Amino acid sequence: MNDVAPAADLGLLTNDAMRARRHPRAVVALWAWESVLALVASTPVAMLVGATWGTDPEGDGALWRPGALALADLYVRQRPAIEALEGSLLAVLAIDAVLGLVPLGALLVVFCRGARDGRVVGPVRAIGEGLRRFPAMLVLLVVSVVAQAVVLGVGLAAGSIVEAWVHTALGEARAQQVQGLVLLLFAAAVAAVGVVHDLSRAAVVRFEVGGWRATTLGVRAFRHAPWALSWSWAWRAIAGLAPVVAAAAVTGRFGGRAGVALVVVFGLHQAVVLARVALRASWLARALRAVDASLSRAF
Amino acid sequence: MAPVRTALLAAAAVAFAPGPAEPPVPTPAPAEPTSPPAGIVLPVAGAAYDDDASLPAHAEDVVDYTLRASLDPAAHTIHGEGTITWRNTSTEPVREVWLHLYMNAFKNERSAFFRERVGGRGSAAPEDWGWIDVHRFVVRAPDTVAVDEWPNAERTRPGDDDETDARVPFPRVVAPGETVEFDVSFDEKLPIVVERTGYRGTFHMMGQWFPKIARLERDGRWAHFPFHHLAEFYADYGTYDVTLDVPQGYSIGATGPVVERRFADGRMIERHVQGDIHDFAWTAWDQWMAARETIDGVDVTLLYPRGFSRVAARDMAALRFALPYESSRYGRYPYKVLTVVHPQEDAQEAGGMEYPTLITSAGPWLTPPGALVPEIVTVHELGHQWFYGLVGTNELAWPFLDEGLNQAAEVDAMGKWKGAGSAVDLFGLRLSDAAINAVGSSPRASDEPVAQAADAFTTGGNYGALVYSRTASLVETLRRVYGDDAVGRALGRYARRYRFQHPGPDELLAIVSEVLGERVAATMRRALFEEGWVDYVVEGATAHEAQRAAGIFDIAGKRDRVTPGAREGGGWDNGVLVRRRGTLSFPVDVQMTMADGTTRLERWDGEGTSKRFAWHDAVALESVSVDPDERVLLESTRLNNHAAVMGGERFAWRVLERAAYDVELLLQAVGP
Repeated sequence: MNDVAPAADLGLLTNDAMRARRHPRAVVALWAWESVLALVASTPVAMLVGATWGTDPEGDGALWRPGALALADLYVRQRPAIEALEGSLLAVLAIDAVLGLVPLGALLVVFCRGARDGRVVGPVRAIGEGLRRFPAMLVLLVVSVVAQAVVLGVGLAAGSIVEAWVHTALGEARAQQVQGLVLLLFAAAVAAVGVVHDLSRAAVVRFEVGGWRATTLGVRAFRHAPWALSWSWAWRAIAGLAPVVAAAAVTGRFGGRAGVALVVVFGLHQAVVLARVALRASWLARALRAVDASLSRAF
Repeated sequence: MAPVRTALLAAAAVAFAPGPAEPPVPTPAPAEPTSPPAGIVLPVAGAAYDDDASLPAHAEDVVDYTLRASLDPAAHTIHGEGTITWRNTSTEPVREVWLHLYMNAFKNERSAFFRERVGGRGSAAPEDWGWIDVHRFVVRAPDTVAVDEWPNAERTRPGDDDETDARVPFPRVVAPGETVEFDVSFDEKLPIVVERTGYRGTFHMMGQWFPKIARLERDGRWAHFPFHHLAEFYADYGTYDVTLDVPQGYSIGATGPVVERRFADGRMIERHVQGDIHDFAWTAWDQWMAARETIDGVDVTLLYPRGFSRVAARDMAALRFALPYESSRYGRYPYKVLTVVHPQEDAQEAGGMEYPTLITSAGPWLTPPGALVPEIVTVHELGHQWFYGLVGTNELAWPFLDEGLNQAAEVDAMGKWKGAGSAVDLFGLRLSDAAINAVGSSPRASDEPVAQAADAFTTGGNYGALVYSRTASLVETLRRVYGDDAVGRALGRYARRYRFQHPGPDELLAIVSEVLGERVAATMRRALFEEGWVDYVVEGATAHEAQRAAGIFDIAGKRDRVTPGAREGGGWDNGVLVRRRGTLSFPVDVQMTMADGTTRLERWDGEGTSKRFAWHDAVALESVSVDPDERVLLESTRLNNHAAVMGGERFAWRVLERAAYDVELLLQAVGP
């Protein structure tokens, strides 16, 4: 694939200026993109529940009754409809996996480039730049998914072989724990492929290169500081779990059936999602700085 | 067992030659009511059976086994020999004995077990076959020369290669009350663990492993049957004295207490003796870990694999609750010991099974705390000590009497113990065992009757849904509608009255009628025998501003004209129509929710096919719900249990909020 032609009117920011926190609107825009998609996937679910339980005095609150009889009954009796909804959810996920590359590219452009007059890249221009990088991003996606699938497949096979090997000697539980350790190692390798994938995406935007070239650059950047970059990704990933767990605990106690309580829970959940988007954006900015620092001399 | 000498004279008067083969006892025809013969009235149990003072100390001793079994764990074989003492407790002389050789179910794919692949456990061909070869079956009757009758045994039927149900002729007729002895010798090879029995590596689980005498009914018919895919078992009570011989280093778990243990020539020999039981099972493995505890006066031994200590602790916690609870509900557990075997997942076909004083639990070592699989399986199999063990019903003919009632006992016990999250309590989802059984069975309620023989069910799925879950939902419905005390008393009275006996559905229904009334018994019979179903529907809900009747009225000599739509001085005319569809009926509550948030509760006795409620109120009706407390678990669906007046429908905002949040997290997990 050919390299992407550089945008003449957009200048490169300094390494230190490539920060997510300098572009809160872009982060919010990414959150909005995810929220709209989620709304598209969820509205049919709410309509199904409204059509089946909307006339109950409790409304959809019936599904949260202790014992979950109403929920289980809905699941069994509306199985075909639920399968259709699952299909539409899968479609939304697939659409996001592909079309989501455009807002992602736009975000990276906003983080690392600016107008010659010092202004931040506007949303329309950013989307245009994201579209321009879409083919390269798509190549990276395919390469990464294939690589991760291969690593995962090898990991599953290796785990099974090791489990069978030590099963008799260690017993089922210990053998499966060993299998889990093997899988953990391969999961780390899958994560590492993901880190390289993000570095390659950053390279596409930073160096205006195509997918194959960006892959090489991403690998090179990773090899330059594998542990620092892995940790940089990992702490954000772990930190992203904390608000989810906290929100689950709060929601579990708070309930949030309707009215103000529901609004509060909605606000809490969206704060969680926004925080996770911000962490992701922060990591992408870090990836930009990493490829910029390690590879600038090569260009 | 002491021989019954008084029968000798009668026996001497009877011919010695073996008679022709009796036809096999057919399993009861599907859906055939089991009304007692004309003139026979089932005995009234009465309140005397509501407490343990009524419990018999022992069962009638019919068949005693004194066996010695030696395990070769490398070849996965058992050599066994011993004596079976059997008494004719029927009213008829008998000319033969039927012998169940159930290990032959795994001998080849021509066995009844493998021919009847209807789904569920044991559906795949085993990786290694199993069989039992009887070498000797010597019949010793008083005043008769002992004869090895095995060469004369009829091991298969014409056109049927199944070898699990053998007929052995007697050298002479055995009179009612007479006792005979059988010297038996056998060798068997265990299959790879399949359908509760077999080996996996050095793990060995032995169920249905010895030549076992079928039960002779009072009327002289042998209740014998091959090992069916879906059926379980049926036998007489007696004493089992079994000596087990395994390599040193192996641990044994078996029915009954250990009365002797010794070591010789690199072998461990354990003798287990237990009376008042109708089966014997055992396990031997060189990797068992053991936990021991005394619960409610019973010495409990829990055998589990290495690394399963957490899940084993959950099994034990379940026993701490359930053993005293079930004892209080269905009569004191009468044995000194209880052994719980928790197999690994690679031997899970051995899990979830019941034998007298020995049960097997199930669940992976990493079962999440909120997924109550070990607890449910342990409570379920423990419950079988009553509904199967102590009440010895025919599991082929009436599987709902053991599996169904026991499932009901499980749902009840789990609900009392764990509350709303009695099956799953994970991530805010609290799913009850009762809900799982209700929704799992209602879609199949009209497929075929619950009360039919196990081998009559068309699929394993229907067998599970109807025998287990539909029966449990029926009993749970009765419990919620008519009260825990009354239903608990009925089942407790049944379990106590028929301890160590072999009752059928009529005995159960008679006691239900006695405690809960004829209407409930009739409903229960309809639900069990006639594919009974019920669906409550809110057909409509209306609220109109009260209006005066239009027209011309002569009141106090004055002619008054009322135009259509004239107000009646405020207020609302509210109306609700509720229907009952189906063949079952239960009293239900109908809850009306008014526009100001207040509620009005009406009770409908469930008689008739519909009920209309109409009333004038200052407030408008908003919505209606029938059975709001979810008492009738037999309902076909609950999706039509509610209705709202025009415009009263609510959008599912909470679902939208939660679903959107979950999808957002999902998008972040798999998105770019």
